Amino acid sequence: MSAPAVARPPRRRGTLTHPARTGLLLVAPAVAFVVVFVLVPLVSAVGISFTNLPLIGTWRFVGLENYASVLTDPVFWRAVGYTLLYTAIVTLPILALGYALAVVVRSNRRGATVLRTIFFVPYVIGLTTLSFLMLLEAQPNSGMVNVVLKSLGITDGSTAWLVDGPLATGLLCVMVIWAVSGLTMVLLMSGMQGIPREVYESAELDGASWWIRERSITIPMLRRTIAMTVVLSVIGSLLAFTQFYILTQGGPGSDTTTVVMAIYRRAFVQLQLGAATAMSLVLVVITGLVTAAQFWLLRERS
Amino acid sequence: MAVTARAPGTAEAGAPGRSARDTSSGRGPSASAARPPSGPERDTRVRRMLFAIGGTLAALVFVVPLLLALVRAGQPGDVVVAAPDGRFLDLSWVNFRLILDQPEIWRGIVNSVVVSVATAVLTAVLATLAGYGFAKFGFRGRGLLFGLVLVTLMVPFQAILTPLYLQMNAMRLTDSLLGLVLFYTTVNLPFCVFVMRNSFESVPGEIEDSAHVDGAGTLRMIVSVLRPLVLPGAATAALYAFLASWTEFLGALTFLTDSSLYTLPVSLVNLQQGAYGQVDFGLLAAGSVVAMIPCVVLYVALQRYYVAGLASGAVKG
Repeated sequence: MSAPAVARPPRRRGTLTHPARTGLLLVAPAVAFVVVFVLVPLVSAVGISFTNLPLIGTWRFVGLENYASVLTDPVFWRAVGYTLLYTAIVTLPILALGYALAVVVRSNRRGATVLRTIFFVPYVIGLTTLSFLMLLEAQPNSGMVNVVLKSLGITDGSTAWLVDGPLATGLLCVMVIWAVSGLTMVLLMSGMQGIPREVYESAELDGASWWIRERSITIPMLRRTIAMTVVLSVIGSLLAFTQFYILTQGGPGSDTTTVVMAIYRRAFVQLQLGAATAMSLVLVVITGLVTAAQFWLLRERS
Repeated sequence: MAVTARAPGTAEAGAPGRSARDTSSGRGPSASAARPPSGPERDTRVRRMLFAIGGTLAALVFVVPLLLALVRAGQPGDVVVAAPDGRFLDLSWVNFRLILDQPEIWRGIVNSVVVSVATAVLTAVLATLAGYGFAKFGFRGRGLLFGLVLVTLMVPFQAILTPLYLQMNAMRLTDSLLGLVLFYTTVNLPFCVFVMRNSFESVPGEIEDSAHVDGAGTLRMIVSVLRPLVLPGAATAALYAFLASWTEFLGALTFLTDSSLYTLPVSLVNLQQGAYGQVDFGLLAAGSVVAMIPCVVLYVALQRYYVAGLASGAVKG
């Protein structure tokens, strides 16, 4: 009581200005949002997946029927296969391009800041808008993709990219790699800027080449950041929907149908919410496993 | 030149060009050694040239497609779908006037503005409150609740689309812009709470204490005392939420069926699929450019906050 203010222990000061009830009150709204719109749906999904819930009408308990039908549904497995293929195609190029861009913009050189801004702009614009723009440029004869390929003598310029499965996939992959590498760049760049300069100096004195220095210093030190960018991009690819919906509607046939698109169709076109929810839970498990497996793989070597 | 620059004597001061610049600004060569670390390069003339050429080429790869989008928005629809000819650069505002004549599209723009601005404000406010609570207050269950918020980062909404739809439907939040705002806010909250908690944690406790002695309550503390210190974090949160909701597609497509409530991307996809009559590709290009411009302008104006927040949130996460 009589102790001078200076000697007052910090803990008492903390509880004075920071009463526990106020803290709880401050975090309550955010927690409530998360509980109502994420946790409750997630938990209720498990229940729904055991019913035949249609969008309209009565429901009944069907046990594992939904899972059986989903797991034996060739459309679902094709969507899974296609999504994994798409993910496999884009992941490494996104990392490689993102890394290359980060190497360009990490310095203090004049112009590096401007380049940083430019490389990140497509990501900021987002795949929705870029897909609409790509739709125009993929048109036969008029689209710039065809005009450029024709002027280079590679095609006759009449390619209908979006109605052919492999061609559409290729075009979409190029667009996505171009659009989202900026995120990988920003994350790797801030990691690179955190590596002290001295670390490189002895390697430089030893005459180590640029690539040796990247491989023996930068990449090992950024292992965690690299793992995180890969996880982010893989999860993003596994959840791909928008660019496919806008550019191909999953077609031709179901050639470019992704998992999320298959779920969307099952739920809101075929109106089978129970089965769609079972598919959703399979997706939750797949994304969870991928995250776990990637962290495990990338941490193993350190 | 490259050889001299690699001589051991220059290693400490960095590249010759740099130390010269620093000397001229009166700080001497030692200042350049204290520069923020910048990766493994030391400048040589060859590297500077490589940087200039490579950087310019790469910049063109990223900028030209976006300039092309602007050109397309200025072309009449029949030019957009014709092989390039003399009319390619005859640009006009005709498509933007068409947008004003097409209620489906401008209503989409208005809806998108309303939804994304409301989402940005709500997310920033809730994330600021929660960030303050998690960073500075000790209460039972704090770790658990923070963990709860973070775990939702790992549950992508795409994967719980159907139960979420049923939940929103039961709460009468489907076919409602308010519902969409609440949904977008939830999607953006975990990351933004995380960023805001980091912002508040970096504020020294003494500042709050002296304000408390002056009789400031919790809200006044946030609004008038801590605001300048955490404003960058709040700007990050608002911008992040705005950009994420401005052209969000799957949620808007799922939760809205009343066409008068469609956001811009959903009305553009309807335009593209011919729901509003024959597809006018010039109109589609102009609509896409309208979707593109706010992102670019806001990002360029606020990028310092955005990139720093993104990196700190993601790296520490």
